[in-house]
Amino acid sequence: MPDRGREGDGGGRPVVEVTYPLGFGAAHRMHNPRFGAEENRRMYGKCNHPGGHGHTYRLEVTIRGPVDLATGRVADGDLVEGLVRRTLLDRFDHRSLDDLITQADGPTSTTEVVTGLLWRILDAAFPPGRLWRLRVEETANNFFEMNRQDVGDAGAVPPAPATAPGR
Amino acid sequence: MRITRRVEFCAAHAYRNSAWSDEENRRVFGKAANLHGHNYVLEVTVEGAPSPSTGMIMDLKALKDLVMEEAVERLDHRNLIADVPEFRQTIPTPENLAVWIWRQLQPRLTDCRLQRIRLCEDLSYWVDYLGEETTDA
Repeated sequence: MPDRGREGDGGGRPVVEVTYPLGFGAAHRMHNPRFGAEENRRMYGKCNHPGGHGHTYRLEVTIRGPVDLATGRVADGDLVEGLVRRTLLDRFDHRSLDDLITQADGPTSTTEVVTGLLWRILDAAFPPGRLWRLRVEETANNFFEMNRQDVGDAGAVPPAPATAPGR
Repeated sequence: MRITRRVEFCAAHAYRNSAWSDEENRRVFGKAANLHGHNYVLEVTVEGAPSPSTGMIMDLKALKDLVMEEAVERLDHRNLIADVPEFRQTIPTPENLAVWIWRQLQPRLTDCRLQRIRLCEDLSYWVDYLGEETTDA
């Protein structure tokens, strides 16, 4: 396991985090079908408005790994962005989140539930252990963040492929 | 507690692995194989406890002076691959630049700990280095 406090000159390969800011626009309505209309209004306030509403969700996707000696990169940025676009943005952009969330993801489309779902999609798309942190801004005032340690993995350094990160 | 000083510098570079042919470099690095340049944004974060006498972890002016001396003055308005000896062999990617800046600054910080180097090359991504290494030296 890496020691995050080391001084950077111990002879190993530097481990660097690379963060890509991305985003999508989507509609949603917070409503938990287990509760009545009044209880939903009480719990979710204006987010329960019957017609729904929407946000421009801003994402920060962070991958982490050793710097590849041949390329000087942790990953090929075009491959990473292409992977996020295909697996996530193409599915979520200009859609209604309530059509994309299942009961297994959570009771309704809170940004906590959305962040968990986005994490699982990205983590499955990247090589094992590569995704490090996901931050979701629902608005400029509300941020949601999780990382690999939150999902019970202490953060073993994943091996770097020779010149390409994706699959 | 952590405190951060932000500075900017501008530099030219090209990505080239000298062990590879021109064709291979172009295939792997694309247009980054051409000589080009960026306005870099560098954030240096140090960590420590505020001194009981000054109330400061570190004088941010002293931190700025150190960052200017050890990093910015060596990189700003330079061609990194021609003018900075370390980047004749090491490709000046943001990852390698962040590690180089860490190694420049870390030995000079005595009263607090260097916590993070964040380097932003353009708007599309940024890198963070926290001094971490693989254990398979």
